[in-house]
Amino acid sequence: MILPTFELHQPRTLDELIATARGLRDAGEAFDYMAGGTDVLPNYKNRLNAKPHVVSLALCEGLDEVRADRIGARATIADIARDPVLAEHWPGLVEAARQVSSPPLRNLGTLGGNLLLDTRCFYFNQSGFWRDAKGNCLKAEGDVCLVVPQEEICYATYSGDMAPMVLVLDATLHLAGPDGERAVRARDFWAFDGITRFHKRPEELLTAVSFPDAARGLRTGYRKLRVRDTIEYPVMGVAMGLEAAGGKVARLELAVTGSEAVPLYYGDLGLGGRTIDAGLGEELDRKLVRTVNAYRNVPFPPSYRKAMAGVFARDLLATLAR
Amino acid sequence: MSDHESPAHPHDLPRQRHGLIGRRLPLVDAWRKAAGQATYCDDIRLPNELVGKILRSPHAHARIVSIDTSAAEAMPGVHAVLVGRDAPIPFGVLPVSQDETALAVDKVLYVGEGVAAVAADDEATALEALARIRVEYEPLRAFLAMEDSLEEVPEDLRLHARTVKGTNIHKQVEQCFGPVDEAFAGARWSKRQVFKMIGVTHAFTEPIVCLAWYNADERLTLWSAQQVPHYVQRALAKVMEMPMHRVRVIRPTVGGGFGGKSDPFPHEMVAALLSRKCKRPVRVLFDREEVFYNNHGRHPSRIEVALAIDDDHRISALDVDALIDGGAWGSFGVVTTYYNGVLANGPYKLPAFRYRGRRVYSNKPPCGAMRGHGAVNTRYAYEVLLDEACRELGEDPCEFRIRNALDPHSKTINEFRITTSGIRQCVEAARDASGWRDKWGKLPEGRGIGIAGGFYISGSALPIHWDGIPQSTVHLKVDIDGGVTIHSLAAEIGQGSDTMLAQIVADVLGLPLHYCRVFSEDTDTATLDLGSYSSRVTFMAGNAARKAAEAVRQRLVEAAADLTGYPAEFFVMEDEQVVNATMPEIRVPWLDALKRAMRDVGALQASGSYQSPPMGGKHKGAAAGLSPTYSFQAFVVELSVDPLTCKPVIHDVWAAHDCGRALNPLAVEAQIEGSVHMGLGQVLCESFDYNGAAVLNPNLLDYRTLSPTETPRIHPILVETIDPEGPYGAKECGEGPLLPILPAVANALYDAVGVRFYDLPITADRVFRALSRKRRAEARS
Repeated sequence: MILPTFELHQPRTLDELIATARGLRDAGEAFDYMAGGTDVLPNYKNRLNAKPHVVSLALCEGLDEVRADRIGARATIADIARDPVLAEHWPGLVEAARQVSSPPLRNLGTLGGNLLLDTRCFYFNQSGFWRDAKGNCLKAEGDVCLVVPQEEICYATYSGDMAPMVLVLDATLHLAGPDGERAVRARDFWAFDGITRFHKRPEELLTAVSFPDAARGLRTGYRKLRVRDTIEYPVMGVAMGLEAAGGKVARLELAVTGSEAVPLYYGDLGLGGRTIDAGLGEELDRKLVRTVNAYRNVPFPPSYRKAMAGVFARDLLATLAR
Repeated sequence: MSDHESPAHPHDLPRQRHGLIGRRLPLVDAWRKAAGQATYCDDIRLPNELVGKILRSPHAHARIVSIDTSAAEAMPGVHAVLVGRDAPIPFGVLPVSQDETALAVDKVLYVGEGVAAVAADDEATALEALARIRVEYEPLRAFLAMEDSLEEVPEDLRLHARTVKGTNIHKQVEQCFGPVDEAFAGARWSKRQVFKMIGVTHAFTEPIVCLAWYNADERLTLWSAQQVPHYVQRALAKVMEMPMHRVRVIRPTVGGGFGGKSDPFPHEMVAALLSRKCKRPVRVLFDREEVFYNNHGRHPSRIEVALAIDDDHRISALDVDALIDGGAWGSFGVVTTYYNGVLANGPYKLPAFRYRGRRVYSNKPPCGAMRGHGAVNTRYAYEVLLDEACRELGEDPCEFRIRNALDPHSKTINEFRITTSGIRQCVEAARDASGWRDKWGKLPEGRGIGIAGGFYISGSALPIHWDGIPQSTVHLKVDIDGGVTIHSLAAEIGQGSDTMLAQIVADVLGLPLHYCRVFSEDTDTATLDLGSYSSRVTFMAGNAARKAAEAVRQRLVEAAADLTGYPAEFFVMEDEQVVNATMPEIRVPWLDALKRAMRDVGALQASGSYQSPPMGGKHKGAAAGLSPTYSFQAFVVELSVDPLTCKPVIHDVWAAHDCGRALNPLAVEAQIEGSVHMGLGQVLCESFDYNGAAVLNPNLLDYRTLSPTETPRIHPILVETIDPEGPYGAKECGEGPLLPILPAVANALYDAVGVRFYDLPITADRVFRALSRKRRAEARS
């Protein structure tokens, strides 16, 4: 498969980059930002919402710092996976990074790209020939969702590994664009369906993720369901942050990926203050299974994926309480 | 890696007094491949090449009402356009199933079938031209479920002219040997069970690709990633209506075949026809999605098996009813239909056997041959039932298999001629190496061990085209430089056949490997070999090579006799010399003996050939599964079930394989390891999925072959039974070792968690569901 034709812009600084974005926006030209390209380019090859312009971050200076309180959006997943300071502060974040795809893709893929990962679906991630033969879905210029047949909502599955831990840690996302900079709480960022996905204008660039001091009391962990132990996107992923005091839950933060069209933050599911024991694990398991959704558009049946969310949460509770 | 840390290049290995057989030799093309110097088909570039692209059908089953190619033809940069009616002559690998055409002629039979093709200056132009071709279809009822194809239907709903009794059944076979019903009536233990296997495909690394050039001499040359250049040459000659000698097929380095490059293919016809139209070279390179539409992988199967065990714990009858989904075309399907039954006649004694096999056509990409062709799914069913019998009869599955083992130099009830049989040694070796006696039934809950056996042909005794020509001929030329040129059409597809040929010839002539150069690529220069399928090459081409080398050796020892005055019978060849075995100080260097032998006649030339001896019964289908010898194997698997996800995690595989003789143990072990890896893919996660008529996962992200992280420790165990007819006693090792791994996993899973799995693949969600069901049932009782 060959790439569609697009104009590639390669600004050297953030200022240049924003200027490029402003120029394209003002000219009414659609574009995508691209860092590692591991998500954008396969979709382009499949002619999935390809744009006439691509603004590459490859040559842009900065945006790749890795610190305990702040990670640049262009830091690679591999940078995060092997960083000793992050491993000390946010072991769950590093654990998630280490489970992203495979080593070559972790070397290319970035934190920003993973957070903003496009949603995935059997009916969407296919070639133009395939989609024409089958009928295009809502997300790919069609009229009807082929997973849940209706014309309103896209049920494609969010499949990033990094987002749930970012939600657990109550991180802030930093955006820059032609109209200036802004910061948004990660818990307020993702919304809507599998097409719209989040509160971000196309010309806004995710530049960094910062972590609040308040998150430091949490012990963190991530569990990922996938068919094989490498390469795969999560088809259910659970991130947990736990602060225990006197054998009780002082703080519990829970988020999942690989279930619906956006990563979802569930807080403590009403279990704050409870004594941590096997019974609490079972209750958490049951509650989460009742809470999460999953659709038949990625590998494994929804019932199994939902069951695994519960199993993982129970295992994380036991592990983090130890 | 620094130079002195590298393993020795085969050319630099010290010369061995005692020959090259049984030595661990890196393959002769390994260095070239590792250095990036091997030439694959898509590395070849000709001047003025064009890009060939194929327009594919969006319909599963439809009549082609009209095709308008005028807009494509009018495009600048488009040099030729082809439609089905330009080349309506059918072809197929088997003479009995000539049911494919270069492009669909009147009807399309699956989503992805070729309808039209263009040759253009570049890929973008070719794709744009395809987009401008207007095809009008009239959709027909699509046959997607196997059962639908059993129905009698009007002629226009039949997928091909030749089907069974007005249905869409392609081939139906029935066989019965021995007192089957009586055995079931008197059985101590019997069970009938339905097994369902999803289709799988080869997933070779190198995509399908070919390059055709019909040149000014009106000769056609086709470079193609192929296992069977000879059959391609035949099919091209037929479709192009050219004499075969004007068609030349060249097989460059092949990046994996596994049976998926062992048919003549439509795209090869398309490239050749386009090239003839525009008189320029035309390349057709598939993207991965097109490779999936080409498929030819293992058939989705529904296999009902009944097994009877008598009072002495001997297998008394096996009754197999296999329904397999062939997809749109015949391919090797007639053979597959037989193999699903007849290859159950080993590795255990079987006094009564009944088989019904049906292969249906359906509106899906064609199925064909894949590693372990036809034997894998029935083997799974048989070995799982054997394990169940052992559990219920309270017998150790190893001891049971040893008691029932097929004897050497015996005959099966369907008249397979068994020469060597190492099944007993294989079971014993795998049992002992794995620590079976301390583990079976004794491991903690969630961890288990299981065994299964296998049996496979070592080449088909009867060739596809039965014309009395030897199945393999090897030609040698030795000239003044002292090098030995080996010609053979045996296709090197990564399995090591070039190394095998060089090894045998060098061994016979007492030379280091670097004297030999193998030319196995080109139908113009190579002597006929039918190709790399049915695990035939080591046995057949190996025997041919040995005969050819022995003829050359005879000339050399005669020359040495001439030069020294001692009788020729005294001389042996070793260490680049012709040596008087009784007086080792009397010796003639290789080049001196060679020059003497060349006097008056010039370059030495010799041929050797192989043809299977007559064998087999007279019943219908007697030829299917007949082989000059058979390989045997027994594998033990130890695994555990992930406590969270229920995913089966394979820890160790003890893989004992009777390869007759390991000519090159390193290569045999690699074949065993590759087979284990591939078989684990089918049993654990591979699945050729459909959504209606659409292939749901036509890419290597969603079609999941096993990753390196799931590959267990594999302990190959080579059992050598020294086959009397094999070259140096060798038998096959490329396919048989795939068979036992699937049922061994299922049997180990039962040992681990007490649940039987009758359907494949055994994914984590299915284990989870089965265990939840089991726990609920236990809680109730």
